[in-house]
Amino acid sequence: MSTIEERYTLTQSQKMMVFILSMSLYGLSNMITELVPSAYLGPIEFSIEYFAFIPLTLCILFHPLYAAIGASLGEVIFGEIMLGQFGGFGELEKFIAFSLAMYIAGTFVRDPKNKVQVGIAAMLGVAIHQAISVTVDILKVWIGVEELEAVPGLAESVVIVEGFAFFNDLLFSGILFALIPTVYLVPRLYGKIEPLLGMKPRDRNDKYSLKEIIGLRLVVLAVFLAISAFFFEYLSESDFNMEWEADFLEMFGEWYIWVSMAVAAMVAIITIVVMLRKKTNWNDKEKKVS
Amino acid sequence: MDYTRKFTEKLSVEQAKIELLNIAYGNGDTFFARLDPRTLFLWYSYFGIAPWFIHQEYILIGMLVFMVITTYIAKVSPLIIVILCLGLLGQGGYLLIIALFFGGNLTTMLPLLILTTKLSVITLASVTVFCSMNPDKLSNGLLKIGVPGQVSFSIAYGYRMLPSLLEEYHHVFQSFRLRGRAPDKKGFLFIRSIAYFVKLAVLSFYPLLLSTAKRARTTVEALETKGSMYGFNHPEVKRLKLEELQMTRKDYLFLIGSFLYVVCLFIFL
Repeated sequence: MSTIEERYTLTQSQKMMVFILSMSLYGLSNMITELVPSAYLGPIEFSIEYFAFIPLTLCILFHPLYAAIGASLGEVIFGEIMLGQFGGFGELEKFIAFSLAMYIAGTFVRDPKNKVQVGIAAMLGVAIHQAISVTVDILKVWIGVEELEAVPGLAESVVIVEGFAFFNDLLFSGILFALIPTVYLVPRLYGKIEPLLGMKPRDRNDKYSLKEIIGLRLVVLAVFLAISAFFFEYLSESDFNMEWEADFLEMFGEWYIWVSMAVAAMVAIITIVVMLRKKTNWNDKEKKVS
Repeated sequence: MDYTRKFTEKLSVEQAKIELLNIAYGNGDTFFARLDPRTLFLWYSYFGIAPWFIHQEYILIGMLVFMVITTYIAKVSPLIIVILCLGLLGQGGYLLIIALFFGGNLTTMLPLLILTTKLSVITLASVTVFCSMNPDKLSNGLLKIGVPGQVSFSIAYGYRMLPSLLEEYHHVFQSFRLRGRAPDKKGFLFIRSIAYFVKLAVLSFYPLLLSTAKRARTTVEALETKGSMYGFNHPEVKRLKLEELQMTRKDYLFLIGSFLYVVCLFIFL
């Protein structure tokens, strides 16, 4: 029984294979997206932000951790160092945000043949990545500019520019380059690509260490909550809303409700997933015993 | 759109490969290329972080002058500089316009200018450092400061494999074009053609995923045969590999010089 339970543990070389595969493919795609020019329609930028479907597909099909880290490293090496655009510390933030988002998306899928699950995971991955990078961008302006609240209009403009970029990326890049290709590729590659690396396909009962997942998710949630709390706290304390008190307070209130609702929904989903998982494990064990 | 077409015409796969190698190995004879990677990392770790926490304009401007000089010495390719400038101006200008829209006035300019100066100092520092190290040096330096062996292997692997990967992708893409049929009408603003090419670009990854998987397996098997997995994180092997990295007098002089310059900035301005 124990062999069945531990079937999905990978050897050192298999991990390395997943890592190299993910790195070279996502790196290549990054180079292509860097070279393709982008089109502007007013403030809306229609560009291929990234081919997120590659790391998403690989994270869903293989072990998410190695695929995610490989993809981020591929981005840094191929898309930045090799094109002579390496940003040093700035890349660290991208690296962490991207691998975290992809890893969470990968662990979310339990059955790669289930298209709904794959689709949700794809959008989830893009949303988490964009949320983290938007937060970091806003914080950057805040740290970089002394007494931000003393400058009229700057704080709102930063929030609006970044918020707009967030939805633009999520809805444009997210659907075109993450959702559709991932849903198309994952079921087609499932069972075909794994034998090339000498592994068995993931199946419904394979699982990663449950503790690892919960730990990571909790950490992400905590960090995200802390940052957003910090940010909103800061917004409410600064008095840039003098002229538009009524309007802005309303807007602010609504946002806050949405944020708390989203957090609540996330917590609820995680609890349900964990409970279901535990239940199925329990049932499986019972069956095997009997 | 005309501009885009001209751009893509000039951009052939061969040229891209040559350009890449040029960026990587082009400037091996500058002053910075002869410094030890650790010196450069140390230098960068100050100029990459400190500007965020400095708010006095004159110190920032002094730093900017220093960075411009180092960038000039490092002989960074003009293309990169142009891209950087456009990015910085674009970001700052965009924020400015929207800030004006929200009731800001010209006093908004000053903080934004300071922010742009900060960002320029940081990016110029990183360009100076990372453009003057060739891949071997960069990966050795990273290994020396304790980054896992897999990372430095990946850098070397990237440089070696990328040209052939690009070529393979190009082949797949062209064969899709041969077998497929381009849309008859270009559509409003070339929208149909663009959609067609984007779709092909995405679809081309399907065969590439499979062939790269094979390639990854071959690579790892070759690595195992050579015992690289053992070598990656074994201190003795590392010591032997990194013996050539030496801090010389030049390194110390450079660090001391930069330090003195920064101290002067803080004292006199």
